[in-house]
Amino acid sequence: METLKKELKSIEEFNVISDLFSQAITGELIGMSNFASLAETIDDYLEKIEAVEHANSERMHAEAFLGYAEKHGLNVNINLEGEYWRTVREHFLFYAKKRDFIACLFIQEVILESFAVSMYRDVGNALGGEAKKLFLEISAEEQEHLEHSSDILKAEFKKDPIAFLAKIEEVHFKCMTILAQFSATTDLRGHCGICNGDCMKGSLHHVGLKIETMRGNALALYAQALDNIGIPGEKSIIWIAQLPA
Amino acid sequence: MDSTTTSLDFAVIGHQDSWDNIHGFVNGLRTSSQGELSLEKVKSIFPFIPPRELFRVEVNSITGKKINGVYIDTFIEPDKLDPRHLRANISKVQAALSTAKKLGARIVALGGFTSIVLEGNLVEYTSDETKFTTGNTLTTAYIVNGLIKAANQYNVKIEDSELLIIGATGDIGSACVQYFKNKCKKLLLCARNKRRLHALSERLATEGIKNESSTSLAELLYKADLIVCVASSSGLAFTKCKENVIICDAGYPKNLDTKIENNYRQIFHGGMGQVSEGFVFSPDYTDSFYQYPAPYVIHGCILEAMILAFANKYEAYSYGKGNITLERIAEIYKLGLKHGINIAPFYNSKGLCT
Repeated sequence: METLKKELKSIEEFNVISDLFSQAITGELIGMSNFASLAETIDDYLEKIEAVEHANSERMHAEAFLGYAEKHGLNVNINLEGEYWRTVREHFLFYAKKRDFIACLFIQEVILESFAVSMYRDVGNALGGEAKKLFLEISAEEQEHLEHSSDILKAEFKKDPIAFLAKIEEVHFKCMTILAQFSATTDLRGHCGICNGDCMKGSLHHVGLKIETMRGNALALYAQALDNIGIPGEKSIIWIAQLPA
Repeated sequence: MDSTTTSLDFAVIGHQDSWDNIHGFVNGLRTSSQGELSLEKVKSIFPFIPPRELFRVEVNSITGKKINGVYIDTFIEPDKLDPRHLRANISKVQAALSTAKKLGARIVALGGFTSIVLEGNLVEYTSDETKFTTGNTLTTAYIVNGLIKAANQYNVKIEDSELLIIGATGDIGSACVQYFKNKCKKLLLCARNKRRLHALSERLATEGIKNESSTSLAELLYKADLIVCVASSSGLAFTKCKENVIICDAGYPKNLDTKIENNYRQIFHGGMGQVSEGFVFSPDYTDSFYQYPAPYVIHGCILEAMILAFANKYEAYSYGKGNITLERIAEIYKLGLKHGINIAPFYNSKGLCT
């Protein structure tokens, strides 16, 4: 438990790292719950099995982050009822109840995974050492989820482009708005309910991170994910430009 | 190519030349309930956006033919065009080229800074279905014909004039040198690269072409009767020019009229053309793109791709550096006229020249 604390230069650094792990664990648990709910929306048994596997994979990610946090005595706070994560989960459940597999897939595997893949990469590279290995490995696994969804969504887009675009636009504005508010330089919906004390975004520099860069990289990956699905750039630029910042 | 896309006659790859334009464009996309974003916030998001198509373009010819294209923005930051950011910018241009290919564009013009990747052979530009052009041949055609037109307008004899070419060793600059070398009294050559400039000067001297060269603009500027600027204007220090000099500002950005004393006869933004039958953007972003004092004005480099598409001439017309020929300058100019595309009316940042 003392190993990391000795390596840390300051209490601020310890607090930021604790908050980063709190966010990662909470996000993984939300992902786990979402994949479990997603399995309910699927008729194809093979896809259903895959959704449960993904839920299990998110559980293992949460446990891996939790294991690291415990080993290093981090002050983690897991709160699935925090403002942003709870709202994202509510939007997901709204579509899950409608058995809208495509909307659920888009929320979990495109929106949330884009942010997870990108932000884990940034955090891992900033923290270095054992934490880097952990974040980058999990980022790579989340990348697979992102890629898995692309082919399904692309095929769905081809079936009925107009209906697909209308649905994705609606989901984008519901869920990306939450993540855009969450990743803005100041919390646009108030405190996240997860960070210990004040919002960690103002303290990220203690570990060599900047929220503007993390948000920019995540948005870039999200935009690329939209491109991979085949959503026209003239459409996605409007979607991105209309997000809160 | 994705089944949801249709084949495009052309694509244009470009970038914005000021943060003011970008700020205006982004806020133009937002609704009143979403509110305006500050310039600071726009600056913190814009550079991360991967290259993508922003709008479709339909261009009309006087023959009645219509062609369809797309504008792809690289999202290169306007204040990061210097060599320090070359690697990052090239990677954005490469991503834009991939987008153009994916969209099935048959010919692609690389506008403004982005042409550097073709001029310097920095990327693989050959493709079976998509051809790339810097558009520099038509830009040269509009520069040289524009200068001749301006000289005629003011009864200035080119053969009695000393012509200064700023950026003389670049692709367009060296084409201008070739065009005017036997037409003016003396060539004044200015460029940043001393070795290339010396080699050009020596070569012209062996051909018997009277010329003088310097990396220092001040050493040549006061002697010039006519000036063509095809260099980046950032860092160019303009001291006193000759009384009544005629200046074709075809550099980037075109802002010489804000840098020099008001003793010129005429200064116009060169290398620009006009489509007589017009074009339509969809969505209509004309408030943010291609705002000029005359309608349907657009850069020569972009028009080259459109003209080639009108002519069904899908080939890498302008590529590499030093490959522009006098024959091709004449050919592309003539092809443009056939479709109602000609040199833009003279204008500068103050408006149309009278």
